[in-house]
Amino acid sequence: MAILVNENTRVIVQGITGKSGILQTKSLLEYGTSVVAGVTPGKRGNSVEGVPVFDSVVQAMERCTPNAAISFVPPMFAKDAAMEAMEVGIELLVLTMEGIPKHDVLDILAYAEGRNIRVIGPGTAGVISPGKCKLGAHPSRMFIPGKVGVVSKSGALSYEVGKTLTDAGIGQSTVVALGGGPIWGMNQRDAVELFNDDPETEIIVLLGEIGGGTEIAAAEFIAKAVKKPVVSLIVGRSAPEGKSLGHAGAIIRGNKGTAASKIEALERAGVHVALSPAQVVDIIRKLG
Amino acid sequence: MKLYEFQGKALFEEAGIPIPRGALVTADSRKDLFAPSAVKAQVLSGGRGKAGGVLLVSNMEEAEKAADSILSLELKGEKVSALLVEEKMDIRREYYLAVTFDGEARTPLFMVSPSGGMDIEAVADREPEKILKLPVDPLWGITDYKIRAMADFLGYEDKKEFAAFVRRIWKLFREKDAVLVEINPLVVTDKGLVALDSKIELDDDALPRQKALFETLGAEQLRITGQEGEKGGGTITYVPLEGNVGLISDGAGTGMLTLDLIRDMGGEAADFCEMGGLTSPEVMYSALEQVLEDKRIKSLLVVLIGGFNRMDEMAEGILKYFSDHKSDLPVVVRLCGTMEEEGSRMMTEAGYPVYDDLRTAVSDAVRFAAEGE
Repeated sequence: MAILVNENTRVIVQGITGKSGILQTKSLLEYGTSVVAGVTPGKRGNSVEGVPVFDSVVQAMERCTPNAAISFVPPMFAKDAAMEAMEVGIELLVLTMEGIPKHDVLDILAYAEGRNIRVIGPGTAGVISPGKCKLGAHPSRMFIPGKVGVVSKSGALSYEVGKTLTDAGIGQSTVVALGGGPIWGMNQRDAVELFNDDPETEIIVLLGEIGGGTEIAAAEFIAKAVKKPVVSLIVGRSAPEGKSLGHAGAIIRGNKGTAASKIEALERAGVHVALSPAQVVDIIRKLG
Repeated sequence: MKLYEFQGKALFEEAGIPIPRGALVTADSRKDLFAPSAVKAQVLSGGRGKAGGVLLVSNMEEAEKAADSILSLELKGEKVSALLVEEKMDIRREYYLAVTFDGEARTPLFMVSPSGGMDIEAVADREPEKILKLPVDPLWGITDYKIRAMADFLGYEDKKEFAAFVRRIWKLFREKDAVLVEINPLVVTDKGLVALDSKIELDDDALPRQKALFETLGAEQLRITGQEGEKGGGTITYVPLEGNVGLISDGAGTGMLTLDLIRDMGGEAADFCEMGGLTSPEVMYSALEQVLEDKRIKSLLVVLIGGFNRMDEMAEGILKYFSDHKSDLPVVVRLCGTMEEEGSRMMTEAGYPVYDDLRTAVSDAVRFAAEGE
C-alpha cells in the first residue's frame, strides 16, 4: 500500500532531456522506480538511461500507460506540460520546479481540482515510498521501509527527519514533501487523511513550520477524524517576527502563524509535539 | 515587483479603469504642480496618509508648501522623491476592492468592503463581516453572479458600470501577471466609480514573459528614485539576526530547524541564510560572501542535505571561497545527501571536518562561537 506511490506506479518524466531530467531519471531508475517513458517535444526516438523519449504525453500514454508524472519542465513551459499530462489521464503529478508564474500554478491546480488529480508542488522534493517507488529527489540512503508516514512542507526537513528515523532503525511507509511556494497543491490535511486510510501506516509524522494556517487545518482534521497517533515538529520557534524565512509562507505576522499557536492547536488535537527530530524518534519509540 | 501608485494608475488608464486627472512631480521638475489638488507621496510602503504623505491643498501657495514638506519626508525608511498631484474628487462613498490569491485555498480571491479608505487589516480584525471574500476559478474567470454579489454587498446601484469595472480589474490582474491589484479607496463620485489609489504587485516569476513591462516600469523607478527597485530572481534569502553563529542552509525547513537547535543549545544565530534546494557552487560562494560580511560571527555553520542539490558542487563553492578568502574562523560543515561521498572527500582532503549528524554539528558550532568571544 503506502500512499501516493507504490510498486505499481508507472512514471513518465516530463522534460527528461534537460540537465535535471537526465540526472533525476538516473536516480529514479537506480532506486527501482518504474520509469516507463520520457517526454520532451521534438526529441521523439531518443532515449535517456534506456528510457524511451516521446514528443507528447499522448504518445507516451498509448505505448507505455503511465499513471504518474514528474516534471522538470522549465517554469515558463510548466503549465502547458502539466495541462497536457492531466488531460491525457495522469492521476498524480509532481511539479519539482520553482519559479512557475503564479497564475499558471493557479490554473494547473484549478484544472486538477475539477478532475480529482493529485498535484504535489510546485517547488517540491516529491514523494518516496521506501523500497517501492521514489518520485522525487529524496536521497535513497536516508529512507527505509516501515510504518511511519511523514508529511512535510519542506523537502530538506523531510530528508532530515527521514534520516533521523532511518538512523534510529525506524522505517517509513511514505514520505511526502509538499513544496515551499506561496501556492501549492496537496496540503498537510490531504496527506494526513491518506495516511489515516492507509493500512500500512501506523504512525503519522506531521512536519510544519511557522506562517500560514495549514497545520491548524490539519490539526482540526486530526481532532475530528484521525485515530492513528500523530507526532508533529514545527520549525521556526526561534524566528523573529515579520521576517520571511525562505519559504513564502514562513513569516510571523502579529499572533498569526506562530509556532506557539500551531503547537497549541496540535496539542489540543491530541498530537504529540516534538521539538527536534531526535524527540520525534523518542516519541515514536514510546508509542511503539 | 511592487509598483508606485502612479505606475499602477497608468496601467489602470490603459485598461479603461477610471482614475483622477493627475501629474507626476519630482524635486527637479515641479512645473506640473497644480491646485486645488491632492498632493501624494509616491512610496512603496503603506500608511503614508497617517505620516503626512498626503495633503489636500486649495491654492498654489499651499501646493508648493505641501510639495516641499512631502519631498523632505522619509516614510518607513523610504525617501520620497516623487509626488502624484491629482484633482480633488467629490467623494460620496469610499469602498475597498482588491484581487489577489489565497495560497492555502489555491485560488484567486476578490475582496470588497463598503468600509474603504482606511486600514483594511484593521477592518478585517475588528469587523470581518464588512469584508466580502469571493474565490474565483481562474479557468472560468470572474462570473456575473459573483460580480452581482459584490455590487449588492457594497450597495452600488449601477450594476452595469460595476460589472465593467470589475471585469477590467480581473483582466489586468491576469494579463499583467499581477499578484495583487488593490484599490483603497475606490470612490463613488457624481461621475461614477473612480480608483483613487492603486497598489499593484507583479509576479517576478512572470518576468520572462512580461519583459517589456518589467523593463519599462523598472527604468521608470530608477529614473525617479535613482535606485534600482527590489530585484526578483536570486534564490538566496538572507535575514540578519543578533547572534554570533553564522548560518547557511540549503533548505528553508532545515534552516529553521537549525535556528531552533542553535537556540536550544544555548547559542544565537547571526543570520538566517537559505539558498534554496536546487543551487550551485556560485550561489554557495555568494552566500558565504554575504554571511561572512558580518564581523560579529565567531563560528560558521553550513547545513546541507542534498536532494536535487549536489554535495560535490556545494563543497566546490565552499572550498573556492576559502581559498580566495583566508580565514581562521571555525567552520562546521554538515553535509549529506546527493553526491555526499564526493563532497565529503573534497572537504576532508582540504582539511575541513565534515559532519553527518545535525545535532553534533550545531553543538560544535555553538561551542566554537562561545570560545571565540
